Amino acid sequence: MSEKIIETHDLTVYYGKYRGVKNVNLSVERGEAFGFLGPNGAGKTTTQRVLLDVIRPTSGRASIFGMDSRTHGVELRKRVGYLPGELALYKDMRAEEFFRMYEYLRGANGANGYWRDLAKRLDLDVSRKISNFSRGNKQKVGIVAAFMSKPDLLILDEPTSGLDPLVQQTVMEMVREVKADGRTVFFSSHILPEVQAVCDRVGIIREGELVATQRVEELIAARLNRMTLIFPDLPPVGIFDFEGVTEISRTEKSVVLEVRENLPKALATAAKYDIRDIETQNMSLEEIFLDFYGKGNGGKHA
Amino acid sequence: MLRLFWQELKFRRNAILGWSLGLCFFPLVYIGIYPSVASEMAGLADLEIYKALGMSLGTFQDWVGSILIVFMPLVASIYAVINGTGTLAGEEEDGRLEMIVTLPLPRWQIVTAKAVALMISAVIMFLVVATVSVFVFQSIESQIETDMAAMDLFSAVMSAYPLVFAVGMIGMFLAAFAPSRRVAGTIAAVILTVSYFGNNLAGSTPVLEPFEPFFLFTYLEGTGKAVMEGQQAGNLLTLTAIGLVSFALAVFFFQRRNLTVGVWPWQRAKVESK
Repeated sequence: MSEKIIETHDLTVYYGKYRGVKNVNLSVERGEAFGFLGPNGAGKTTTQRVLLDVIRPTSGRASIFGMDSRTHGVELRKRVGYLPGELALYKDMRAEEFFRMYEYLRGANGANGYWRDLAKRLDLDVSRKISNFSRGNKQKVGIVAAFMSKPDLLILDEPTSGLDPLVQQTVMEMVREVKADGRTVFFSSHILPEVQAVCDRVGIIREGELVATQRVEELIAARLNRMTLIFPDLPPVGIFDFEGVTEISRTEKSVVLEVRENLPKALATAAKYDIRDIETQNMSLEEIFLDFYGKGNGGKHA
Repeated sequence: MLRLFWQELKFRRNAILGWSLGLCFFPLVYIGIYPSVASEMAGLADLEIYKALGMSLGTFQDWVGSILIVFMPLVASIYAVINGTGTLAGEEEDGRLEMIVTLPLPRWQIVTAKAVALMISAVIMFLVVATVSVFVFQSIESQIETDMAAMDLFSAVMSAYPLVFAVGMIGMFLAAFAPSRRVAGTIAAVILTVSYFGNNLAGSTPVLEPFEPFFLFTYLEGTGKAVMEGQQAGNLLTLTAIGLVSFALAVFFFQRRNLTVGVWPWQRAKVESK
């Protein structure tokens, strides 16, 4: 049986009258890269903060490495690297000073000076003051800080935010290496290719509730295509009413379809009505998820 | 924790330098000019307005007491309020605290390192001001009539430190308790202002007398007598106790605080009814 690295049981957080998360049940196994998805305010950051004991749950519990986040916070944080979504650094320090301080405070876990390799890999000039860094370079500082102790668990909140595409690739490689090393990654992102590239499973949280969790390959297999068909005169209602095709909306000149199967039949039907143009749209992972699960009606767990 | 403490102290380098220089304004200017205004000061000794401001001006010792045991600590207390609330609530609001609390450090160590750094930074400021005061005193000693020795002046300045300790710790407690730095800073500023004016007015306003024990400045005597003989031990102990209790409360509430959320402690655990 594989070891559970992260587990939450009916995790609920309220800030006064405001909802943080509600009855979140989640588990992430050793060596897994888990993508955590959801719109802004859905509860992704709240969940991560509860895992690290920054915020205390109103009810339910969260554990990492089998230890309760609330009661064993210090012990478990020795083995966790964290990149917050709202990264704030001590601006008056040089990056080098910051890493030295951070290494000393968190314990190097046998990875003394590893931050130098990481900084070199990300092309970060550690002799410069953090206040002089661009947003992307500050993000690199945060990434190095999260990875520098070679932690057993990495919790990354939007890790590639503000990075140029080349550096994004490097960060994704680093995540893959962590996974290949048998360590675990809990990864929050809005970028589908990133999640597809590194994650084994994804979970989507919406309005504080975990709508579903699913293996990435299953999601891809269930992926929908959304297309807008432009006509000179709108065809009759119901002509696309067949297996695997759903008409989402229509305007004066166009019909929007979601197509899971029977694409040739849908196109052949459209051709009969003198179709003028087709616009296709890749659905975001979140949309795929919500469609796949009937707009979050209950959801299921893989 | 030691490393965190050094780091915290390092963060305060500029503040220590700036505030020390600023506070030295009091001995350099107000003590420095005394020989030229001494005769005029004697005539103003009994004015109520000066009493209301906590000033007694009859002798050089009284003058020193008013300036270095009342005004200088009052201004130093502003530093304690700014830094006491900023080091927890300020860093929480700008996000830096999240980087620290997610390290494998117990929260009580974080508060303690910050509190010690704050208090040591204030000690350094007081030492600088006390030392500068002594130099200024020695340069004017021959022009004034006083029984005061340089060491009396040094001790008098340092004896005001417990007030700043108490204010700084109250600031930290409020930062750990209140939802935001703005709220914590406002409450701390009100406490400081009310303590100062309340204590000064209590002597001439009977209605305020019952509240005197609640004014922090009650426990700091800014008179020539206090300069020569030192502060009463009971008063110093009271201020120290207020500081220590506030520190304990800061640790207690910071241990339980939902960081990054910005709510009062009682707003934490309201579960929506099902």
